[in-house]
Amino acid sequence: MIAQAIFSLLLCGVLLYAWAEYRRSPAVASMSVVVSLAGLIFIWVPSLSTGVAEFVGIGRGVDLILYLWVCISLILLLNLHLKLRTQEERITKLARAIAIANTVVPSETVTTLSEVPGRQGASSRPAGAQTSPMRMDDQIV
Amino acid sequence: MRSNEPSTTWVICPAFNEGTTLGRVLGELHGCGYQVLVIDDGSSDATSRIAAASGSTVISHPINLGQGAALKTGIEYALAQGVERVVTFDADGQHRVGDVAGLLAALDREQADFALGSRFLQRSRTMPLLRALLLKAATLFTIATTGLRLTDTHNGLRAFTRRGAAVLRLRQNRMAHASEILADIARSGLRYVEVPVTIDYTEYSLSKGQRAGDFLMVLLDLFAQRLYR
Repeated sequence: MIAQAIFSLLLCGVLLYAWAEYRRSPAVASMSVVVSLAGLIFIWVPSLSTGVAEFVGIGRGVDLILYLWVCISLILLLNLHLKLRTQEERITKLARAIAIANTVVPSETVTTLSEVPGRQGASSRPAGAQTSPMRMDDQIV
Repeated sequence: MRSNEPSTTWVICPAFNEGTTLGRVLGELHGCGYQVLVIDDGSSDATSRIAAASGSTVISHPINLGQGAALKTGIEYALAQGVERVVTFDADGQHRVGDVAGLLAALDREQADFALGSRFLQRSRTMPLLRALLLKAATLFTIATTGLRLTDTHNGLRAFTRRGAAVLRLRQNRMAHASEILADIARSGLRYVEVPVTIDYTEYSLSKGQRAGDFLMVLLDLFAQRLYR
């Protein structure tokens, strides 16, 4: 009984989290709802998982839950990896914009380079938005 | 004073902690009259200072992003400056400055948008066996995934026209960018040509180069990209 109460509480927490998260990512939220509801059912009707496991040919209900858990973990890992990649791309764009804004132009070529439109002189900082080589719109968006 | 001619071709030199070789490499490039753009990829040594002292344009990444990201920064900046052709050139001293002219000539002669250096079109006496096998595997991988029949898929010495450089997406920050460039070349349908170049394998360039284990990471990166978009 104690274990059932603790796990139910945890899963109710997950349900609350899913509800709060729904607006940001409906897919993840609905998946969490399904998983935690299934978890709640299995906690209170343990024989059910054994029934389902036998139906799909796994044997014990615990094994079924273990396999599902592994699958869910892998999906979450993949999701996390993709999120990290997105994050890395955003950091790259940011770092690139900063780097290009601070371009150091050799002083001896200032006269030739200043003829090129959109290029500021020897200064290592952009003089203003319209003369900056950074092209803020292209970089950030 | 520089004439207008050399500034239409820029040599992009990505450098990460290359202080020991960068000065010599940049000296040779400037000696041949090339306009050089050094991308200091968050180095902790004197790379940036050496590059600026040599008279190169220098862009410094505030943090280390990887060679692919450095190339993209350089290409993006060069295109924004109206450059007609870009050359990519490793900073570790493995390339020969004399080979650059051959690449540029090949672009003109073959009306190509990409000229790719290949170390296998002529004999290299200094290549270690393991490296040769690894590069052979990469060649087969490239034929399988892009259909490009190249003899050398991972050579840092390349020349692109403006049109060619513009189709390169370079979203792989790290070493997988070499395969990504080839995939983009195949996708663009533009003309490419391989040009024989010599790689000087020194203990230094080998220590900075890829190891066999990196190959797995490259595969993983490319696989993740397929899932991603």
